Amino acid sequence: MANPRKTFSKIYDQYIDKIYRFIFLKVSSQEIAQDLTSETFLRGWEAFKKSQNPTANNQKIENIQAFLYKIARNLVTDHYREKGKTQVISAEYVSIIDPRQNLEEKVMVRSDLETIRRALVDLKDDYQTVIIWHYLDDLSISEIAKIMGKSEEATRVQLHRALKVLKNELNHND
Amino acid sequence: MVTEKELIGKIGELRQIRPRKDWVVLTKSQILGEEPKILFFPFFKPVLATVTAFGVLLGIFSLAQNSLPGDFLYSIKKITEKGQAVFVSEEEKPAFQLKLANERLEDLTKAPAKNLAPTIKEYQASVSEAAKNLTKIKDPEKAKKVVMKIQELEEKKREVEILGVVVGETKTEDEDSNLTTSQIIEWQIQYWEGEGETLSEEAQEWLVKANKYYEAGPEYYNLASEALEKIYLLSYPQE
Repeated sequence: MANPRKTFSKIYDQYIDKIYRFIFLKVSSQEIAQDLTSETFLRGWEAFKKSQNPTANNQKIENIQAFLYKIARNLVTDHYREKGKTQVISAEYVSIIDPRQNLEEKVMVRSDLETIRRALVDLKDDYQTVIIWHYLDDLSISEIAKIMGKSEEATRVQLHRALKVLKNELNHND
Repeated sequence: MVTEKELIGKIGELRQIRPRKDWVVLTKSQILGEEPKILFFPFFKPVLATVTAFGVLLGIFSLAQNSLPGDFLYSIKKITEKGQAVFVSEEEKPAFQLKLANERLEDLTKAPAKNLAPTIKEYQASVSEAAKNLTKIKDPEKAKKVVMKIQELEEKKREVEILGVVVGETKTEDEDSNLTTSQIIEWQIQYWEGEGETLSEEAQEWLVKANKYYEAGPEYYNLASEALEKIYLLSYPQE
């Protein structure tokens, strides 16, 4: 049997960028993104360890990527609930709460990326999520449908609508 | 107007958002309890370990060089000296041992009370080792070097004795010390006799005296040593 630590170490390497980016695009703060990402992997690791124990009555993790995204999504929701903040953050707010020039924030200085990011964070949560998962993290419609607990058709429609809203948002800003 | 294709392309560019590498490594180590790895130059890791180990060893060896007999690190200093001795030829061993004896006398000038006895013991051991090997010297240049070392030693011994430290090998009741002193004096007499007619008349007179004191026994070894020092000063005038 493979060493769970070694296996999870590989999982961590494989998904850390994706999970961090997913969270960062939702919270728009490096510090909060780091906190929530490490919490995601910590919870993921605890659950993964339990799932490796055949004697205990533990649920098997069938899709680790979906599992990590679920944790991340719940943590982001909890974060906004606890802080009493709205999940949609304006770009101006971002620059006020996190003015430091971090690597990822430097990237944002580039107007194209900044524009798309601003438009993305203005979308409602479900729209943001399907766009990030499908076009950024390359999740298939069926994978997204499973994570979101929806049918593939409903997911496809949602993705289509999300993209349309984003496009309108960008064209409107132009 | 942004087309759908352009929009998807632009969304893809957001992949440039990545967490800081050092944070990624640190977080992983915190979650999994692994040691953080060196990120950017993994091939430096063994080099870094070697350099660190070398630095630590160098530090210990440097500290050990200032240690005195009886100190914790003195054994390391002794190993270093033994290591050096391996590369010294049989003929050069007496000079090397006398150099060590000289260093021990130097140590005596700074040795705290607790270090006096072991330092004197080390000094005597080095002189004794040197004395035993004197007969192996065949090369006149090497012999000359040893004569010089012996004189340096005598001078240093006097300095130490002024400080109230008796180094011991001249004590008549100590048979081992007497043997060592006897060997050194005898070897020096033979050395100067070998120089023969190159010696000045005055030096030759002192050589006769040195011989006489030597034959008179351990009580007169001090006088024999002084006579030999006179010959040395007459033959190799100091600058």
